[in-house]
Amino acid sequence: MSWRNELLAVWAVTLRNALMGARNVFFFFELLFWPIVGVLSIGLMSRFLELTAAQASFVLVGTIALSVVNVCQLEVAYAVLLDVWSKSLKHQFLAPIGIRHLTLGSWIVGMVRSLAVFVLLAALGRWAFGFRVLQPGWLALATFLLGCFLTAWVVGVAVCALITLFGNRAEAFAWASVNMVLVLAGIYYPISVLPDSIAVLARAVPLTYFLDAYRAHYGFESEFRAPIATGLALSAFYAALAHWAFLAAIRRARRTGLLLKMSE
Amino acid sequence: MLAIDAHDVEKTFRSGWLHRRETAALRGVSLTVARGAIVGVLGPNGAGKTTLLSILATLLTPDRGRVTVLGHDVVREAGALRRRLNMVSGRPSFLWSLRVGEIVAFYGRLYGLSGRALRRRVDALIELCELEPYRRAPYSDLSTGLKQRVALAKSLVNEPELLFLDEPTLGLDPDIAARVRAHIARLRREQGITIVLTTHYMREADELCDEIAFIKAGRILARGTSGELKRQIRLGEVVALKLDPPRVPWLADSPGTLRCVEVDGWVECTVDDAEKRLPELLRALHADGVVIRNVQVREPELEEVFVELAK
Repeated sequence: MSWRNELLAVWAVTLRNALMGARNVFFFFELLFWPIVGVLSIGLMSRFLELTAAQASFVLVGTIALSVVNVCQLEVAYAVLLDVWSKSLKHQFLAPIGIRHLTLGSWIVGMVRSLAVFVLLAALGRWAFGFRVLQPGWLALATFLLGCFLTAWVVGVAVCALITLFGNRAEAFAWASVNMVLVLAGIYYPISVLPDSIAVLARAVPLTYFLDAYRAHYGFESEFRAPIATGLALSAFYAALAHWAFLAAIRRARRTGLLLKMSE
Repeated sequence: MLAIDAHDVEKTFRSGWLHRRETAALRGVSLTVARGAIVGVLGPNGAGKTTLLSILATLLTPDRGRVTVLGHDVVREAGALRRRLNMVSGRPSFLWSLRVGEIVAFYGRLYGLSGRALRRRVDALIELCELEPYRRAPYSDLSTGLKQRVALAKSLVNEPELLFLDEPTLGLDPDIAARVRAHIARLRREQGITIVLTTHYMREADELCDEIAFIKAGRILARGTSGELKRQIRLGEVVALKLDPPRVPWLADSPGTLRCVEVDGWVECTVDDAEKRLPELLRALHADGVVIRNVQVREPELEEVFVELAK
């Protein structure tokens, strides 16, 4: 496949997801409602508990990361879910399209949408609670967002693989596993408060390291020696693993007939 | 030159985690299709028609057997093959809130079309499938017939050399189904596309297909032109008589007569050889004083062949 055709296939998926998102009122709801509710409730709770400005920033960073990852990973999962829900999966896989086009095209839309969510929540955090997302600087912020996007890509592709492997019934499990990953990453607390056995799992989650690096700019001592490098390395490893799992799941679905069954 | 060359294709579906169930969908199917031909695959529900088409279209991988489509192995060279074929299925479904034009354009981009070339192709297909008034309509708002036409437009976006039509007129009104059939015939006539179709409508198969393969329980039972199949099955020929008096009790017991039924005032006798038996019947009726008002001789319907094979 030529580079032109590679880019066209990615663009096709990007445009498709963007059009679907723009026309679905529920997509708009998930983009605004839950993220705003999250930041307001956590921010107000931090005020009630009389947390210091640094402590409040700590939990708000986690809340915003949660929304950014959730919105972005959901969009990546739409690479398969939109077709599963509309029973058009077989048309998609009859075309000369690879999973790289599907996931990359969806990821691009996911990054744009979650960036919009981030800007909105940052503005809300600043206005309501005096939280400054730019305090760590542009480079730290860009690295943090990159970490969130990479985590979302990995989780989204893993969800695609699970659904392709087990069919629609895997949806609930897929969403639960997403939240489990986010809880492990220490969104509201440092992972040092977790029991040792759980902390081991937390150290295997890339987002843990990106949160740690970003929070260090708010005065919290880093728990890791090279968090960004570790986070990037782990992300690359999981990205390769998730891609392989999705590829294997598609091959299996072609073998078992699930690809056809999900289109009926 | 062959568009499809499949040998001893086997496919078994397995389901259940604790209680494993196995369903053999194809049990050694062999099929060859010449380039430019329209071949129909007929058979009762669960015969393996859709499974066979899905394997040929790379949507399913076979368990055993060798399948070459347009010179490509369907498993090892599936990527290259997908650029050259396409498929329409009965009860098609696409993303519900995309508009007709957007659906065709989406698939066009997947096949490497962009800019002016994409716009021209989308316009041409929308015109061909008579979808212009619905170009901006969301897919979910379309009727079944219009959805089928969108599927046909999508299936032609890559100018395929081979087109699979899985029950393309399923659930359509007769007038829409006739138009879809006309489209299919035109595709072969004007573009030389090889077409493999499955259908439950024998008239459709009789009208469109150069050859027909009957599949049952995962095996191809018979294959040939419509006329060859009728002869192969030895269903005989039908001699239809309009008589006065309309009922002649001894007619069913005449030599060479297989059965006689009354249909709309006609007596239809299936005989082993119409050329030989018709004069005999006419002589016997005349001798018995029966007035013969009308006589017709015809081959059995393909539907009767289907019923016979499906038994």
